[in-house]
Order: sequence, then structure tokens, then C-alpha cells
Amino acid sequence: MSIKIRMRGKVKGDVAEVKALIKHKMESGARMNKKTGKPYPAEFIDVVEVSINGTKAVDAQWSGAVSANPYMGIMVKAAKGDEVTLNLTDNTGATGSKSIKLR
Amino acid sequence: MKRRSFLKGTLATGAAAVAVNAGLLTPSTVLAEWNKTAFNTKDASGALKAAYGMDNATASSDIDLGAPAIAENGAVTPIKVDATKMAGVESIAILASKNPFPLVCEYSFSGPALGYVSTRIKMGETQNVMAIVKAGGKLYKAEQEVKVTIGGCGG
Repeated sequence: MSIKIRMRGKVKGDVAEVKALIKHKMESGARMNKKTGKPYPAEFIDVVEVSINGTKAVDAQWSGAVSANPYMGIMVKAAKGDEVTLNLTDNTGATGSKSIKLR
Repeated sequence: MKRRSFLKGTLATGAAAVAVNAGLLTPSTVLAEWNKTAFNTKDASGALKAAYGMDNATASSDIDLGAPAIAENGAVTPIKVDATKMAGVESIAILASKNPFPLVCEYSFSGPALGYVSTRIKMGETQNVMAIVKAGGKLYKAEQEVKVTIGGCGG
């Protein structure tokens, strides 16, 4: 199960803002299913890593309190044409990956 | 879903790295370990201790915490933390003090990254949102109250 990611990055001067939208339900494990009285099992993205041209830049850890279909915006020092790679995994073991070239 | 159970079983033991080398798994890297203790702590200072080993954060005006005064939908509260004015930012964490588990997310920066994060978080009720910035080995914080008005009229 690969997780869908949309990512965009734009360079302004020597700094690029990278924005990513991830399709994920981010179930925290606390929400109750009213019909059965049991909580919905937790399913959320826990580790996200962003690297620029293979150099690690951001290493993020999330909990189930990040909104569903998470948005993430970060800023990095980079130039046009640099390759940004985002890797993530959720607590069930599903993974997602996306690479773009900065414009 | 054989691959999923395979991942689950091997990730903890470190055998996954071997599997990646052997080309059994498609993702190119095995990601860092999730800080379970910090995220499962029920009070903000305890979570900070688990994440950073300290909880004595100094208030700083150099942190620009962008949060709405009133969040119409607590499940999607846009939060922006801009610490680009500070030098040597190592990490940014966002905490919602009254959530069941206060630590929402933690970003650590290295190399080309700047101290800036924007994201959207879930909030159960009206509470303070805290941005913690680790710079030069010290913790700094900025706080702002966000009113959550689920189904209300913005009072």
C-alpha cells in the first residue's frame, strides 16, 4: 500500500519552500466507533523524512493529532533543479515516497 | 498483504536493512525510529522531557507562531512556526496542552533545512498551542490560545 503524496517546491532567491499534501486518514486510535463501542484502530503517519539531493534535511515525527490528509510546508536552502525526496511511513508499515525537482 | 506483515515483523529487529539491501523492499530507505515514549506521554512537560531531555523552555519573541485566534474546525487547525530569525535551530515541536497526548509533531532539521514548519493539527477543545524551538542546545517557546468552536458561532 503506497501512500499518495503531492509535492511542490518553488525557489525564491536561495531558499525554497517545499509543500507536500499527503492522502492519509490519520486515525489516532482514540476515536470511538459508536456502533461497536470500540475505538477505530490507530493508523497514522509517524515518520517523515525529506532530503535534498540525497542530503537529509528534515526528519519529522508525527502523532495521530496531525490532521487527516496532512499538509506539510518546510523551507530549505536549495537552488533550481535540486531534487527533493520525501519518504514516509505509517504505524502499520505502509510507506510512501515522492521525488520532485525544484522549479 | 504479505509485505505489510513482513515489514511489521522485521522493522524492529533491524533485519529490514538487510532486506532493503537485498532488494526485497521497494522503499529506498528505512526511516528513523518513532519516539514512542514522547508521543504517549500525557502531560506537556513530560513529553518535552522525553523528546529533548529537558522541559525548561524560555519564551522568545523570535519565534513567529502563526495560529488562528478562532479555529472553526478543531480537526484542521493550521499552524505555522517560523524560527528563521533564530540561529542554529535544531528542532521544532508543536504541542497542544489539553490534547490527550500533547505532543503533536516534532521536526528535526539538519543540513540545508531552515527553522520553518507549517502544518495542520487536530485540537479537541479551546487551549494553548505551544511551539517549542530547540536552538543551540536550549529550548525556546511561543504560546498562543486557539479557540475551538465546533458547531458554535465563534464566541
